[in-house]
Amino acid sequence: MTAPLLELRGLTGGYAQTQIFQGVDLVIEHGATVGFFGPNGHGKTTLMKTISGVLEPWSGDVIFEGRRMNRAAARGSRRFRNFNYDAVTRRRMDPKDVARAGLIHVAQGNLLFPEMTVTEVLSIATLAAAGRSAPAGRTDVAALFPRLAERRHHKIRYLSGGERQMVSIAAGLLAEPKLLILDEPTLGLSPKLRLELCQSIRQIKDMGVPLIVIDQDLAFLSALIERLYLFDHGRIARVLAKDQIPGHDALMSMLFGEAIE
Amino acid sequence: MMSFDTFVAVASGGLALGAIYALMAAGLAAVWTTLGIFNFAHGAFIALGAYIGWQIADAEAAGLGLAAGVVGAFVGLFVIGILFHLALVRPFERRPDIVTACVITTLAGAAICESAINLIWGPRSKQLGQLARGEVDLGVFRLPVSDLVLIAVVGATLGTLGWFLSRTRTGRAMRAVSQNREAAELMGLDVPRLYALAFGLSAAIAGLAGIFVGGLRFMTPTMGTDPLMKALIVVILGGIARFTSPIYAAILVGFVESFSNYYVGLYWTPAVLFAMMIVVLFLKPSGLFGHHQRTL
Repeated sequence: MTAPLLELRGLTGGYAQTQIFQGVDLVIEHGATVGFFGPNGHGKTTLMKTISGVLEPWSGDVIFEGRRMNRAAARGSRRFRNFNYDAVTRRRMDPKDVARAGLIHVAQGNLLFPEMTVTEVLSIATLAAAGRSAPAGRTDVAALFPRLAERRHHKIRYLSGGERQMVSIAAGLLAEPKLLILDEPTLGLSPKLRLELCQSIRQIKDMGVPLIVIDQDLAFLSALIERLYLFDHGRIARVLAKDQIPGHDALMSMLFGEAIE
Repeated sequence: MMSFDTFVAVASGGLALGAIYALMAAGLAAVWTTLGIFNFAHGAFIALGAYIGWQIADAEAAGLGLAAGVVGAFVGLFVIGILFHLALVRPFERRPDIVTACVITTLAGAAICESAINLIWGPRSKQLGQLARGEVDLGVFRLPVSDLVLIAVVGATLGTLGWFLSRTRTGRAMRAVSQNREAAELMGLDVPRLYALAFGLSAAIAGLAGIFVGGLRFMTPTMGTDPLMKALIVVILGGIARFTSPIYAAILVGFVESFSNYYVGLYWTPAVLFAMMIVVLFLKPSGLFGHHQRTL
């Protein structure tokens, strides 16, 4: 039996003093597309940042294609807390290793590199795929986002939010992902752009790229994904298969325990 | 009123000074924008570059000629810069108080470098030869060849650096890291290695500047202190919105210094420069050519 694509075992994490999520267990098989749904501020983004290694996990393991991405042992024990953590121990998880292994995280509201042009950003996006064989033919981002071809010589800071999001996703695709995390890709976009982007995300799924999508639009999510994780108060509250996903109102009452009048 | 010949002499001297400051400020700004720290050892790198160059070039030492000295200083300082980064900056990289920590560690590094120079080469001052001798006659006025060579070398170096940053993938990756570290990490860029590279390049360029400073003045272990102060003025005055903004500011500072030496006198020149910097900061805090966003 081959190892699943991504496995989390008892993953706990947060920021310096504040624990955000605790004991998250999760298995994602090859070729799966899953969604995360839950109230704002309950730790979805923090969990994704921990999976991609931007934040260090406090305890637990992140296993990608059977390979553990973090070092063993829990975060600095009390004994070492007065030492320079970086000098005494090495970092527990390196985002570079995660990205180069093929787990690409397209961050929420990604500002990218404001003073670089679209072409420049896309030219360095392939660096993460260097030295790794991945299915070819997914990288025709010009066809996926025709809008970007027109603006290729513009600096990122002159782009609109939606165009910036497209550059982010295009850069993620150029890294030949084996699993692509999209964190609220449609946040704060106009309805027309939203529609366009949702269409592109569906196309990405059809190319055979496994996805983890966080979004607040249940209709979009349930059409796209095979399984939905409800995230609430820093843990996975429920897992719903595609045909179990209820409407928005029913889901809200499921999350908050009461119907909204 | 100054005569035309004097004007040309003062102006070309100012341009040459500006070229050296541009070289220094570009290196200083490269570290400032990518790592977010101010490298107080940049002046010591200049001294090290001058002494390594002297060791290779001078007839009393290896005697291989000034061109070999330039290459040796560049390569030697590149290696020293990377080692310096690994030992004194890297261990504090992810601490929130990295700025304060690195003020102390880079000052300590500067002291170590200066003492090492004292131990190895002794405190007696030395001098490097000029890059070239003679003057060219341009009909209306005459210019020293060494100034022209200096400006050409600085132009070529900064041009190459600019090409590296905007055209190569490694250079673009360096700019990416300086603009958004987290996004660069998520793209799988090797941030620590790019930081070390930025530090090495910055030191190598400082080494090159050291050769020029060593040709203008006598070399002492603390010879880098004054150019470091000028480079600091340049970086703050010009702002660091782009790779090129310290360069314009450096030429401006070079001219102002040269003319103020002539009109106001040597001892008042730093006061003039600082007054200019304060006025600019008062009117435009991000510097003459600066933006809110720091970048290479």
